[in-house]
Amino acid sequence: MSTTTTWTREECLAHLASIAGQEHTKLCGESVAVAAADAQQIAEILRFADASGIAVTPVGSGTKLDWGNPVEAGIRLDLKRMNALREHPWQDMTCTVEAGCNWAAMQAELSRHGQMVALDPLWPEEASVGGVVAANDGGALRLKYGGLRDLIIGMTIVLADGTIAKTGGKVVKNVAGYDLHKLMIGSFGTLGVITEVNFRLHPVEANVRTWTATAKDAAIFAEPLRALLDSQMTPSAVQVRVRKQECALDVRIAALPECMDDYAARLQKIFGQVELSESTENVWQARQELFSTEGAVVLKVSLLPSDVCPVSSELQQWTPREGTEISVLAQAAGLMTVALKSSPDAAIALIQHLRGRLHGSRGSVVALQVPEALRGGLDVWGCDSNALPLMREIKRRFDPNRILNPDRFVGNI
Amino acid sequence: MLFGIVLPQSHIDELRTAVGADGLITGESQLQTYECDGLTNFRVLPGAVVLPRNTGEVQAVVRICARHKIPFVSRGAGTGLSGGALPAAGGVVISLARMNHILDVDIANRYVVVEPGVINSQVTQRVAAQGYFYAPDPSSQSVCTIGGNVAENSGGAHCLKYGFTVTHTLGLEVVLPSGELVQLGSATLDAPGYDLTGVFVGSEGTLGVATKVTLRIVKRPEVVQTLLAAFDSPQAAGQTVSDIIAAGMLPSALEIMDALAIEAAEAAVHAHYPVCGGLLLVELDGPSSEVDVLMGQALEICRNNSAREIRVAQSDAERALVWKGRKAAFAAMGRISPNYIVQDGVIPRTALPSVLSEIDRMASAVNLRVANVFHAGDGNLHPLVLYDRAIEGQEEIALDLSYRILYLCVDCGGSITGEHGVGKEKQEVLGYMFSEPDLQTMQLVRCAFDPDSISNPDKVFPRPRLCADVPGPYTPHPLETAGIAEIF
Repeated sequence: MSTTTTWTREECLAHLASIAGQEHTKLCGESVAVAAADAQQIAEILRFADASGIAVTPVGSGTKLDWGNPVEAGIRLDLKRMNALREHPWQDMTCTVEAGCNWAAMQAELSRHGQMVALDPLWPEEASVGGVVAANDGGALRLKYGGLRDLIIGMTIVLADGTIAKTGGKVVKNVAGYDLHKLMIGSFGTLGVITEVNFRLHPVEANVRTWTATAKDAAIFAEPLRALLDSQMTPSAVQVRVRKQECALDVRIAALPECMDDYAARLQKIFGQVELSESTENVWQARQELFSTEGAVVLKVSLLPSDVCPVSSELQQWTPREGTEISVLAQAAGLMTVALKSSPDAAIALIQHLRGRLHGSRGSVVALQVPEALRGGLDVWGCDSNALPLMREIKRRFDPNRILNPDRFVGNI
Repeated sequence: MLFGIVLPQSHIDELRTAVGADGLITGESQLQTYECDGLTNFRVLPGAVVLPRNTGEVQAVVRICARHKIPFVSRGAGTGLSGGALPAAGGVVISLARMNHILDVDIANRYVVVEPGVINSQVTQRVAAQGYFYAPDPSSQSVCTIGGNVAENSGGAHCLKYGFTVTHTLGLEVVLPSGELVQLGSATLDAPGYDLTGVFVGSEGTLGVATKVTLRIVKRPEVVQTLLAAFDSPQAAGQTVSDIIAAGMLPSALEIMDALAIEAAEAAVHAHYPVCGGLLLVELDGPSSEVDVLMGQALEICRNNSAREIRVAQSDAERALVWKGRKAAFAAMGRISPNYIVQDGVIPRTALPSVLSEIDRMASAVNLRVANVFHAGDGNLHPLVLYDRAIEGQEEIALDLSYRILYLCVDCGGSITGEHGVGKEKQEVLGYMFSEPDLQTMQLVRCAFDPDSISNPDKVFPRPRLCADVPGPYTPHPLETAGIAEIF
């Protein structure tokens, strides 16, 4: 037990078992793991932890648990029992889902009515809704549909003191009260435990084709990418892939079947001399594959869309010079995933270089997946925002005893 | 009108130093210009109005307010319909009218940076030549300001497809109620930290003053087609909307007007609308090949729902006229009724037919007429309750009816406001939609930004709340608490 002298680990286990049931409570390394059945149980667990000063980590399926600074929590609050798609009023194109629901399972249910949450997070077969939201994950579909802040219309959260609060609602258009759900998205479980999420939905992309162009240098894609984004076409996803000296640009178009040939022709016209060929949907797995690079630090880089190709090209050039191995997956909306395999010193040097390179345009570099060797010497968040004192004050108001994922987030929030 | 709280001369002198003599208004007749916004039945005289020219002057003013705990209300064009820019009695109004410059245009990255006093439609004008537009289009867009849009998270007819102000706000420069300056978000996505931009947009001026706004701009679609279909009732038009959405279409706008609204709009702007019980406007945009196919589908759905007349606007001029009638509908009510209340509620789209019938029933029961104009695609109703103030007691009945319509919206799973905000008008109704723990949680954010509750105090939330609040029937005015003014 990391934080309290009042309770032994066994006493804590017994108390949590009295809330959630013995079969849903167990010792787990240095922590006690407890799987709650509903928001009321979570409220009771948090009230206990808050009064006892025991740190709590909310856990969905654990796919992104090592993102951010490490947390030594006394209680591992498991959301896996809260896994229902509670409502799907499909004619209103909204749904309400519990935070522990598996992402792919939710999408499978929604697809029965030809609908989806228009987001492509990492590891959909394993990831939970709450984890995706807390980490603000999302893939290349962001270009067309926006991110979680554009797709979530309401939420239920439990605060550290056990308050159960609803925010937003179940209709898409709604400006009543503060949008607290926007605060929760990407807050890494530091402000409250998300128990339920209301999404707006989109029709499933029924008719989709993907085209790919290849080149030796990502810089070659700069002009066609600019022209594509400046055109009146609305691709659902565009990404640039860089691995060693091979680069590719993928475009995904969803359209009515009768319009597809017209779009293909327009696309080829935009790309001019750069040849496009039709490819498979597998190319959209590339971001996920970067996280499997053995021993690599994996970065989330935010940059201006016009920097996507130049920075991809610069990273490509960096590889032979520094003896590092770099793979890049850049989404056209201006978010890049970089897998970097190198010595710790070279990795830190490159991260610092990138942060400096993007500082002027207010871009950012966050180290999501960090190998143990790098842990001590790296500021994973790289947050130099002058709003940090305000963020700390929000944390203090929401979680005055700092029991929710203490130190995990920016500025040791 | 509330009188009785005055700012001490020494504080007025400090404000004059901050913004210069030509940036300060204290004369009573001039102050009256600022005593209300678009919700004119609430009027409060401010103690002073300042017109800062830049962020530094806003900071200087807010610091003075913070030091003396003077409540302040920031204000754009004052077109809001919920009393959000209603002054605090004797407090300071910060008019952003002179901060009206477009500071940066980056077409390659599809954003602009503007000052808060820039008018909504000016953003589109500025980028139109490059083929871009700014998507949120409240009906007041030719006069309302971006700062006000940010405060209210304004929508408009086209947010069905394009989203709201928050969808298009990438970053903000904000003067906090302490006077400190912070940058929230930026032109790049997902800055590390909490999404404070997302929380600030729509906070109705209660978290500080936005002094710069980074807005996303959108490529203008290749073609736009607008269809008008006349039905016997708004319910039939509503069913058509549900069928269009169920077919997987996402039109850029889906609007409905009922017979009364059509009558008023005709009288005001002669839009040549067909005479009918429910008029549906469908706008589709996108690449030409796609819009052609979808328009064919939309026409068929209208016919299947027994539309008696269908027109497709044949030119930009025709389309502009269609929209002119729709956007003039609120003001046009003056043509058919001496007084009216504009309401703004949201319901799940599928509840449209039943809610419209219930509104009819409620109105008949109290012998009032309700005209309906609504953004049907996202279930955003704008019932216009018509009444005559000259008839004793009718205003109260009309107000009561308008609030009961909001309760009806909440009861069927909707919201008390889709785009006008809570402001002064609906602060008590917010408590019908959210429980006390929900409201207390919102207060945590309020108090983190504004511990002294000086930024647009006594708005949005159901009763005067201060961050050191203890339960009790009376909450003193912040000026009174600070010992710098008294109520007489």
